[in-house]
Amino acid sequence: MPAETHVEQTPLGPDEVYGLVRDRLAAILEIDEARITLDARFVEDLDADSLALIELVEELEEELGERTVGFHVDDEDLADLHTVREAVDYVVARLGGGAAS
Amino acid sequence: MTGASCTVAVDAMGGDRAPGEIVAGALEAATTLDVEVLLHGRIEELRPLLPDPVPARLTLVDTRDVIAMDDEPLAAVRKQKDSSIVRCARAVRDGAADAMVSAGNTGAVTAAAVLRMKRFRGVPSPAIAVPIPVPGHHPQVLVDAGAVVDASPERLLLYARMGGAYACARYGLDAPTIGLLSNGEEPGKGDTLRRQAHELLRSVPGFVGNVEGSDFMHPGRADVIVTDGFTGNVALKSMEGALRSLATVVFGVLDATPETRDAATVITPRLLDAAQAYDPDLTGGAVLLGVDGVCVISHGNSSARAIVSAVQLAADCVQAGAVRRMQEAVARAG
Repeated sequence: MPAETHVEQTPLGPDEVYGLVRDRLAAILEIDEARITLDARFVEDLDADSLALIELVEELEEELGERTVGFHVDDEDLADLHTVREAVDYVVARLGGGAAS
Repeated sequence: MTGASCTVAVDAMGGDRAPGEIVAGALEAATTLDVEVLLHGRIEELRPLLPDPVPARLTLVDTRDVIAMDDEPLAAVRKQKDSSIVRCARAVRDGAADAMVSAGNTGAVTAAAVLRMKRFRGVPSPAIAVPIPVPGHHPQVLVDAGAVVDASPERLLLYARMGGAYACARYGLDAPTIGLLSNGEEPGKGDTLRRQAHELLRSVPGFVGNVEGSDFMHPGRADVIVTDGFTGNVALKSMEGALRSLATVVFGVLDATPETRDAATVITPRLLDAAQAYDPDLTGGAVLLGVDGVCVISHGNSSARAIVSAVQLAADCVQAGAVRRMQEAVARAG
């Protein structure tokens, strides 16, 4: 049986991560993507509860884990992510890229 | 193939009396009900509690992690992916089971159901529906009994729509009556949440207006009682406490003098018979509304009998298409 192989792909940049976060968050919260700006606050502006944020995290891990082996969001870090920008920057940093503009 | 009408995933590790009572209940369900049971838990703990061979309609599913009753729910579900609770929810998602039953950590069961089965469209968060016993009558349905402590008027509207559809499926009602729990019957009664919700609920078929705490456990006023999770949980626990206190008083009186003890020999069997209507082991437990699968949450102190009731409730919900009916009710409302 051949060994399992995994082809590393080019890490996503900030714009692509932002697009992915918008897409997934809009689907989870059932809101218009236009509301999900970089400065939007998860709780105050988007009415996202902790369960919705975990749904987002799990979807990002599933999607990005296929591109970067072992991509994972530490639950302890979640408390520090209050805005979409902070989440995008965090994911990009984990993927080894730059910050959101 | 065992020919059972549906398959129920049972969490053997959740509950104050797990795994012993849960395994005993699952075993009885698999041998007396028209269901196949997928019993999830640490196989080395479950096997000694089962006959050899196990019945054809019971399959053991080995899971390694155990979520404790006092674990923080979201963190536990995230970190303990091989727990019996998460694996039960996954079995429903993957189609291996039609429904799940757990007497474990309620928050973790709710989180696992949302993360694995997913909420259905139009439902931002699930709600817990609890049957409230009404002697000589089908139970009332209380929504929400504690899934989400804060609620908006729009969420109470959703609870009403899902609760109505659930009552139709569960109790075979054609047109369930729906009440909004408040501190008075008049439409203007209640806090801002209640007053705004009252306006929205006017559009729901069967809405009868505000109901009060005293309308619980009485037939005629409302089949479904809607409120936020905080108030719903307080109401539920208040009823449990009042019933416990009443039972203490009644049995104290019956044991007070030689004469009352004589009377008790006649009265007690009748009282115990009547008290069955209030026995939480026989109600089947709570159902999580708003997730794309049947999820029954049995109470934490569940006995084997409670697990049998919960499996039967899960099977009944599958047979009645409860989830589909709730989805349709939410979709119809747009």
